[in-house]
Amino acid sequence: MSYKVDEIDNKRVVHLNGEIDMEVSDKARNTILPLIEAGHEVQINLSKVDYMDSSGISVLIESKKLSEQKKTKFELIEVSKPVEKVLAMARKFL
Amino acid sequence: MSETAQSNHTEKKDFLVRSSSLKDVRTFCREVFEKLQIEQNLKDELVLAIAEAAQNIVKHAYKDDPKTDDKMVVQISCKDNKLQIGFYDMGTPVDPNKVKHREIDNVKPGGLGTFFIQEIMDAVEFKDGKKPWINHLVLTKQL
Repeated sequence: MSYKVDEIDNKRVVHLNGEIDMEVSDKARNTILPLIEAGHEVQINLSKVDYMDSSGISVLIESKKLSEQKKTKFELIEVSKPVEKVLAMARKFL
Repeated sequence: MSETAQSNHTEKKDFLVRSSSLKDVRTFCREVFEKLQIEQNLKDELVLAIAEAAQNIVKHAYKDDPKTDDKMVVQISCKDNKLQIGFYDMGTPVDPNKVKHREIDNVKPGGLGTFFIQEIMDAVEFKDGKKPWINHLVLTKQL
């Protein structure tokens, strides 16, 4: 997995790329959570993520919960089809 | 070993019990499902279920031994359009009664993998591991 972060005023757009599984989920977590913790509005661009398992979904759930606590905006944008399918299965948890 | 798609076919491969092996597990499954000519949508779901089960071995059966050199075996069999995926490991014995996905209204992360496996597969069964194996998990799906 690779990533880049765009900064637009108080917004941070995190572009994730590749496969997100248990091996790399901490890297994703350590990229996203500090941005939310710092009070930024965070968008996650998932257009180039071709595989995501429960570890990746867990990072998204944690991010959403933290953004609710911090009262900041958190959203997923340009969700790829493979991720959309997994999100659909996990929708009960999101 | 392999024959034509959806007829009798069995393949197995061993993997180091590490999170870094999960990508190799997925690659192996995709290759086998290509041979079985399983359509893309189902293939993606099956790969996810298998990867989650392998992840559970790394995460739970080897929780106290993350640097193990032990291997786990994944065996994919297809007979009469019934797909059976076996997992063998030598980690901590799994208590099937404790393997549950969490409650729907509990939004804490974790436990999702088991939920995905149960959503995707028709049956999930823990069998007695025959030596040298400790755990033997079998996932089944009618094609």
